[in-house]
Amino acid sequence: MKNFVIVLFGLTMIHVSSTSRIEAYVKTLAMQGILLFTMVVVDNKDYFGLNFLFLVIETLVFKAIIIPWFLMKIIRKNEIFREIEPNIPAFWSIVISSLIFGFGFMLSYLSIILAQDVNPLYFGISISTMITGLFIIITRKKIITHIMGYMMLENGIFLLTLSLINEMPLIVSLGVLLDVFIGIYLFGLFFNKIQATYEKTHIDTLTYLKD
Amino acid sequence: MIPMLFLYPVIVSLILFFINSKLINILALLGYSAIYLACTATFFFAPAEFTTYFKTDTLNIIFIAILALVFFGVAVYNIYFSYHSNEIPQRHTRYTICFLLFVCSMTGALLSTNLGLFWVFIEATTLTSAPLIFYDRTKSSLEAAWKYIFICSIGISLAFVGIILISMGSAQINSLYFADLYANSSKINLFWLKLSFPFIIIGFGTKMGIAPVHAWLPDAHSEAPSPVSAMLSGTLLNCALLGIIRIYKLIDTAGLIYYGKTLLIIMGMISLLVSAVYVVKIKNYKRMLAYSSIENMGIISIAIAIGSTGLFAAMLHTLAHSLAKASFFLTAGNILYKFKSKDINNIHGLLKNDKFSAWLWVLCFLCITGFPPFPLFLTKFLIIKQMYVSGNYVILLLFVVFLTIIMAGMSVSVFKMFFSVEHHHHKHAPDKNIYDLFAYLPQCVFIFILIVTGIYMPSFVHKLISLSSKF
Repeated sequence: MKNFVIVLFGLTMIHVSSTSRIEAYVKTLAMQGILLFTMVVVDNKDYFGLNFLFLVIETLVFKAIIIPWFLMKIIRKNEIFREIEPNIPAFWSIVISSLIFGFGFMLSYLSIILAQDVNPLYFGISISTMITGLFIIITRKKIITHIMGYMMLENGIFLLTLSLINEMPLIVSLGVLLDVFIGIYLFGLFFNKIQATYEKTHIDTLTYLKD
Repeated sequence: MIPMLFLYPVIVSLILFFINSKLINILALLGYSAIYLACTATFFFAPAEFTTYFKTDTLNIIFIAILALVFFGVAVYNIYFSYHSNEIPQRHTRYTICFLLFVCSMTGALLSTNLGLFWVFIEATTLTSAPLIFYDRTKSSLEAAWKYIFICSIGISLAFVGIILISMGSAQINSLYFADLYANSSKINLFWLKLSFPFIIIGFGTKMGIAPVHAWLPDAHSEAPSPVSAMLSGTLLNCALLGIIRIYKLIDTAGLIYYGKTLLIIMGMISLLVSAVYVVKIKNYKRMLAYSSIENMGIISIAIAIGSTGLFAAMLHTLAHSLAKASFFLTAGNILYKFKSKDINNIHGLLKNDKFSAWLWVLCFLCITGFPPFPLFLTKFLIIKQMYVSGNYVILLLFVVFLTIIMAGMSVSVFKMFFSVEHHHHKHAPDKNIYDLFAYLPQCVFIFILIVTGIYMPSFVHKLISLSSKF
């Protein structure tokens, strides 16, 4: 069951790297939130601890509902629907993201040989999710897509933390949650300012400062 | 003493939010900096501890001292800056609140004894300083703030991956306290530690501003108002540096020193190369200072990697660079206010219009490029000597060549501004008043401190630096 959920999580990333509809990105983010929630429920042994409650709030409330809702609000308000002309065609996006997943599994294979203390599937998928997130940020042109790529990167990191949830002190997870929340809030704030100032939210417009 | 440093900004921010008075804002910032300086003085005599999470030790005390000094100078300069800024009180209040919380989060980062908590505070510095960069509300400052917050967020996320990898490797220790990690470094799985260090150095390196992950730095430093630029360059970069030093020590105790050294030297050299390439044809003098910050961060990371005397030099360099760069940015603020332009070619008659700023400009330049008697001469000399002794001739050669190019590039711009001739006479000279004094006072004090440190280092400063250089 657990492995099935992780593989599904990996598939959402491949889906995202091929699509050009902005709303599909948001739906994928919500989907990832739900998958992470499932994983927390399946994986946990102590259902009454503070840590569990906190994880449920983080995944179900924040990752699956609040953040996608917030992003959707920005998108509706600014009438952005499609990622026009990404830097590379969708076909090559899929090829490259598949290669990234291959690399992730190679690294996890290496980790089995050199260090036996981690679930290789967790490690491989989370590393490749992070790299795919970065890849999306690099190849897409819309600022809103950049924010969502960043959120996917964060989801990948969250998947990695799940594998050592007993070692991470609560205060750190609390800090992470707060940072992500404020970060997204600030992103939205500045995004609206960019929209108001430049009328077009492409990174091509942000080229005033250079040497 | 430590709770005071955290409580004051939080409580005062709440009060300021409802008052909205420029005068009270200025006084609140000054008050915090004075309290900060006083608390730091007590830390020298009695190391402080607040819960298990915050503590002063021989390494972070020097960073706290730098923060206290630079912050005090900037708070004094802020009187002049606020007097001349035309912002409405609400925005000035927001600026002051962010400033207080920014310093508070840097304090948290410097004092924290836990790697995870350190990370949280470093992230907090990004969030609190992004509105400060956007202070001018221009198109370009919006762009700079966006790049800053986005690039640093990604960098910090990568640093977090590094932290997760460290805790994976240290599953037996089950603690992220630096002291526990150092004490049990032999139990850490080297595979995970090796994998984590590139993440850590890229992540915190983004915040520290070493190339090739420096992209936000020139934009943010040039667009932020000058007191903020001074704080960014003089103190924020040091916070991230402290994180890298702490992890470097872990790498060292775990026996991977050679690996750590190689990475630091590569990043440091790329930093020198990048600033040498860009500084030569630079047009914006605030960006020139930003590239100089990248250069100095590169020098510090190389010095740490060189080891032995290099460590002493690295610490002294951090101290001297912070003071010198803060005064350089504050002087740049004076010039920007007088001439309303950041373009080097638009500065005409600097010496005639503003004699003090002109001389400070040159003095800061001499200081930052390491002319004797300033301490940066001593540090660069020590680094070069250590490179020679340890037989790193290739690094030595590249180091000297890059430094010479950067010095030549900067000197062209600085002296062009200094000797520039005025084409047409300014008709209305701005009337002088008492607040203008604060535009020069902090820089003079900083340069005085630097000259004293360079000529005759007081024994307690020497002790402080040599203790911290042993980590």
